[in-house]
Amino acid sequence: MTDHPFDGVRIVGVGQTLYEKRSQKPIHRILWEAADLALKSAGLKWRQADGLALTSFVLPPDNVATVAEHFGLEARFLFQGLYGGASGIIGMMHAARAIRDGDAEVVICLAGDAFDVAAHNEMLDRFNGSVRDYLSPYGFGGANGMFALHTRLYMERNGATREDFGRLCVAQRENALRNPNALFKEPLTMDAYLNAREIADPLRLYDCVMPCFGGDCIILASEKVARTLKGPQLRILGGGEYHNFPANDVYSLSAGWEGFSDRMYSRAGIGPKDLHFAQLYDDYPVMEYIQLEGMQISPKGKTHEWLRKTDVTWKGEMPINTGGGQLSAGQAGASGGMIGVVEGVLQLRGEGGERQVKCQRGVVSGYGMVAYGRGLSASAAILERID
Amino acid sequence: MSKPMPRITAVNRPYWEGCNADKLMLQRCTAADCGQYIFYPRVCCPHCGDGDPVWEQVSGRGQVLSYTLVQRPHHESFYAEAPFVFAAVTLEEGPLIYGRIEIDAAEAEGLNGRPVAIVFRDDQLPGQKLPFFRLTA
Repeated sequence: MTDHPFDGVRIVGVGQTLYEKRSQKPIHRILWEAADLALKSAGLKWRQADGLALTSFVLPPDNVATVAEHFGLEARFLFQGLYGGASGIIGMMHAARAIRDGDAEVVICLAGDAFDVAAHNEMLDRFNGSVRDYLSPYGFGGANGMFALHTRLYMERNGATREDFGRLCVAQRENALRNPNALFKEPLTMDAYLNAREIADPLRLYDCVMPCFGGDCIILASEKVARTLKGPQLRILGGGEYHNFPANDVYSLSAGWEGFSDRMYSRAGIGPKDLHFAQLYDDYPVMEYIQLEGMQISPKGKTHEWLRKTDVTWKGEMPINTGGGQLSAGQAGASGGMIGVVEGVLQLRGEGGERQVKCQRGVVSGYGMVAYGRGLSASAAILERID
Repeated sequence: MSKPMPRITAVNRPYWEGCNADKLMLQRCTAADCGQYIFYPRVCCPHCGDGDPVWEQVSGRGQVLSYTLVQRPHHESFYAEAPFVFAAVTLEEGPLIYGRIEIDAAEAEGLNGRPVAIVFRDDQLPGQKLPFFRLTA
């Protein structure tokens, strides 16, 4: 036996609702649809689930316990994500520990939101105390303004150009065209990227995500339950989370991944060269750079050079955000922290359709809780198919 | 449409009252082995964890760390003023503070590293002055 941190736990199901710009569906219905699809893909019934890990910004005054009641779940394990887009993976890892330790057998790991642009902006203005009191009164431009500052710094410190960030956006759009669930259906040329409407210099329209409605879900089960199921099975080789790293240093162009990736790889028993894809949290291309560097997939401060010679589309040598990511599929609020997990699980199950990558394992990562100038929370996990 | 207001609390009142008196007030840690300045206002020092920061008036001088020309504000109340420059400024005393720079959009080039000084404007929020920055030298 190895001593992987999540031994005895399997990922057995996956589901995603259609992403829509607007919808009349209540948030509870969006969440139910994603979970129902995932349970069906696993071959499990609702009454077999005994745990729920849930993240959704628009849920209050409801919460994970009231949603369990709404769904009729008797739950031995509940988790509600408070770390924005880092929550999906953090919830999955908490659920895996609960299953490993015998507290639960089947946990629904779920995220979803119902956001249009206006609702998203309104939430962000009062996202937390430091944003409300020291950023919002300036008309800081929301997350776009905040990450424009990081993008400019990366460009000035390392010599990256707008085109270098555009490479990721253009590649992800190519992936999205093969994902029937993605919001964007038209190809994106480099010209269109470079000349798009200005939002917050140096960011333009296609550096920014499109808020939308949607839900994402995976199902975790104990090995004992998994043995009774027919579908493909995955395991979590390792993972990590790190918050407010480095403390008191907003512009290090780093974040938690740099603090935990050595430990994640050593517990997984593999290195970055053994990954077959990366499903990154792509609120802005500069954050994908920081994830790639923090997880040692590209060299520190030189991701722009790495991208000039690396094909990151679904058919390339290091596929990134093979379903289009949030930049081309859409950002359904807290689902942004699960869309990459769902895409990774689909790929490893061989259910990637026209964008299927030849893969055995890959990394998924999350990022969230924008506060005083940056997101505070980073997470990642390495998933592998069991043959 | 009214602009988003800060919430003034027991933790940050000296800062906002200082703005209204045209003074930049920062907290400073009193621990002998720390002594660092603090912003945003807190109940403790985020550098060492000590619980007795005190308020001091500081220079209001600093340097632009990074900036953006906001073309599309996230809040309707700012549409009429756009585009404008929003920046992160490193104060001489150490802390990072955000604010807008009083500069024409056409001049918003190569600002990183430029020295700035704080000004307090009363035309932004009802009853509360808001710190802005001006380029110096």
